[in-house]
Amino acid sequence: MSEQIEIEQALNREYEAGFVTNVEAETFAPGLDEDVVRRISAMKNEPEWLLDWRLKAFRSWQEMDEPNWAHLGYDKMDYQSISYYSAPKSMADRPKSLDEVDPELIETYNKLGIPLEEQMALAGVAVDVVFDSVSVLTTFREKLLEVGVIFCSISEAVHEYPDLVKKYLGSVVPQKDNFFAALNCAVFTDGSFVYIPKGVRCPMELSTYFRINEMNTGQFERTLIIADEGSHVSYLEGCTAPQRDENQLHAAVVELVVMDDAEIKYSTVQNWYPGDENGKGGIYNFVTKRGICHKNAKLSWTQVETGSAITWKYPSCILKGDNSIGEFYSVALTRGMQQADTGTKMIHLGKNTKSTIISKGISAGRSSNSYRGLVRMNPGAHNARNFTQCDSLLIGDKCGAHTFPYVESRNRSAIVEHEATTSKVSDDQMFLCQQRGLDPEKAVSMIVNGFCKEVFKELPMEFAVEAGKLLEISLEGSVG
Amino acid sequence: MSAWLEACIARADDNTAGQSWLAAKRQESLELLRESPWPTRKTEAWKYTPLRVLQGFSGGAVGSAAVVDKIDDLNSIDLVFVDGNFDTEQLSVELPEGLSVTRLADADRATQAWAAKRFACIKPERHLFGLVNDVLFSDGVIIDVAAGCTIHQPIRVVQQLSEGAEAHTRVLVRLGEGAKAAVIEQCDGNSESFNTLVAEYQISAKAELEHYRFAFQVDKAMSVGGCHFDLAERAQLNSTLVGFGSTLSRVDVDIHHGGEHTFAKFNAIYLLDGRELFDLHATVEHANPNGRTIENIRCIIADHAKAVFNGRIHIHRDAQKVLAELNNRNLLLSDHAEINTKPELEIYADDVKCAHGATIAAMDEQALYYLQSRGVDRSKAQVMLSFGFINELVDQMPNQILAEWLRPQLRQRFSQMEVS
Repeated sequence: MSEQIEIEQALNREYEAGFVTNVEAETFAPGLDEDVVRRISAMKNEPEWLLDWRLKAFRSWQEMDEPNWAHLGYDKMDYQSISYYSAPKSMADRPKSLDEVDPELIETYNKLGIPLEEQMALAGVAVDVVFDSVSVLTTFREKLLEVGVIFCSISEAVHEYPDLVKKYLGSVVPQKDNFFAALNCAVFTDGSFVYIPKGVRCPMELSTYFRINEMNTGQFERTLIIADEGSHVSYLEGCTAPQRDENQLHAAVVELVVMDDAEIKYSTVQNWYPGDENGKGGIYNFVTKRGICHKNAKLSWTQVETGSAITWKYPSCILKGDNSIGEFYSVALTRGMQQADTGTKMIHLGKNTKSTIISKGISAGRSSNSYRGLVRMNPGAHNARNFTQCDSLLIGDKCGAHTFPYVESRNRSAIVEHEATTSKVSDDQMFLCQQRGLDPEKAVSMIVNGFCKEVFKELPMEFAVEAGKLLEISLEGSVG
Repeated sequence: MSAWLEACIARADDNTAGQSWLAAKRQESLELLRESPWPTRKTEAWKYTPLRVLQGFSGGAVGSAAVVDKIDDLNSIDLVFVDGNFDTEQLSVELPEGLSVTRLADADRATQAWAAKRFACIKPERHLFGLVNDVLFSDGVIIDVAAGCTIHQPIRVVQQLSEGAEAHTRVLVRLGEGAKAAVIEQCDGNSESFNTLVAEYQISAKAELEHYRFAFQVDKAMSVGGCHFDLAERAQLNSTLVGFGSTLSRVDVDIHHGGEHTFAKFNAIYLLDGRELFDLHATVEHANPNGRTIENIRCIIADHAKAVFNGRIHIHRDAQKVLAELNNRNLLLSDHAEINTKPELEIYADDVKCAHGATIAAMDEQALYYLQSRGVDRSKAQVMLSFGFINELVDQMPNQILAEWLRPQLRQRFSQMEVS
């Protein structure tokens, strides 16, 4: 019995990134109409075409219904009660270097374990920091420009590289794609922009760190990455938010363009505030991520999802070019009252295209964890190949684990394999570990880490360590 | 709502006569039907199966006499429905002890008492065409096997349809405690027609049901029906479905584990050719602990045919120690054929073992090459391999006489198939 109590205490462990930063912020009053869209655009001095683009998206959004096909139960958001723009006041003039950044902000990121200073240079990671609605800082911009790599906030890119933005914005995720993507198109405030020129292998890891701070706001960022012919980039994304009783909305769009022979590796460690043990508060995470692969290109999505009250996320690959490769590696951990409906879409259009899906779902507490995926072999996808494996692990008898894979094939020479299993941490495994002197908690953590190993090995080293730790914290005491 | 469904409802309103003891149930279904939207591409259960073909069809009762071929050596008890009406004359054999077959219309009070409680209750409400059958069925039978009885002769329900016929046949089966029986449902027809054959099975504690559904309607013979099973404690089900496609063929299978220590095995084979379509939705509900399910679905699709499979395994909270497996393998024989498969797991209990697998591929070139190198010509080799692919499941049929009867039909089907 005492063990049971210990477990519950451990499960109720506090969210470590739940503090609030006191920065003076300029925030729009809650509500959404065409004026808000115009104001956001005006704040950013956007060109006419972008305003029109936003308005078009907004008008289609008004006619769309919020999707309800996902295996999620939540009260629909009131989109008029959210503020669509919030930026630290000190950001009026965007700082050019770290010295000019509000020390409060730097402190925030230090607390989160994301040092923006020299350590990053040692680690060889360039960071774009997005705080509420704006990008605060992008490190190593100049150094990257030396090799031709553009890494900046998307608002800057709109002004500095209008041709590139105009050409690719919305080319992978069109305005009317879905309810949340349309909303994002209308009100996106910032995000990261990356362009890797032909034949360049990006000399350092690029990374964006998202933080929601202000109350009653939503975060709507947009990331656009273009890897030109023969280039290579590895991109990391992390996110946290303070602990609050209200649900906050995060509706992001990520568009990736992978040209001939190029490669993008996109990794996410998502740790938004998941709400308390009774499901109060937490981030609603509705994200549209998609990449298009041209000839011989490769796109690899790796995600570790441990946060958010609701996760609705399906990073997808459109394998358009012949011989292109799509990969999806995912670990989704839900506990407490968290709900996740996540997976991927692999659309095979070109010949000899290949895709691999490895999804590991772990559910504990009273949570619900679903894998939802689509593999489609179009008539032109000769000799295409897909392998899917989704495994679920249940910890406790109050949670749910679900699998909804859609497999559609219209090409004879394509080969599709799908397998899924659901099980619990077996008594034999536990017994063996304990017999070797490990306490039950350590044993579970070890078994779960082993369960996720195939995904963790795809993460860049620093992230793999972080992901492992996150999992350990979240799972502590969940078995007794 | 579609014109077709509206016409159905209008006809159902006129169909109030007949079995008064089922009137309340029918009224309930009618209410549900009135609220049911017509499925479109956005309706999950009908995502890949368009109902356009049905819109243009208006059939009615035709009712020409037909003689059903006996299956050699099977010695079955044949219950024949011609265009939806039970043909009593073809039920010539004497029924063995412990078995009773009653027309819905002739049910006595004792039968009514239990049947009213089970009728349309084993079949889940979500099936649109199940509701259509509820309100429109004109004839049906109740098959009751007394507790502890073993019926050695298989019971065969045959549905025959002539050109232009529309039939809604109903079957309700009860196996008493510890009873054993085999039931075969067979749908034949190749001319333009439409039928919904809905069968409900109550398998009481420790009873064993051997079940077959042969969905042999082809060409323009449309069929949308279902078989629904409720298993009580320690009940066992062994079911085999064999299907050929037509312009519209859909079967919904529901297996509900209503007691503990239940066992269900479900094998399905479907072979599609031309522009045929076959859609199988199999749902397994484990509502109780210690249940076991094994499902094997094999499908061969040639020419411009389209196959749909949805296999859902739902393990309810506290249904611990359940073992469930689903295996779906598909062979695509042509570049124009299409397969859409969706094996689903929905699990709320932690001490369970569940797995599903799905594969889609063409015939193995190496295996073909091997056979060719042994002097077998290519087309023959293809037939051999296809046959081997599904024969594994035919071999598992508990009744070998039926398997023998089935094999030549499958072989003939293969030889006709368009292999490119």
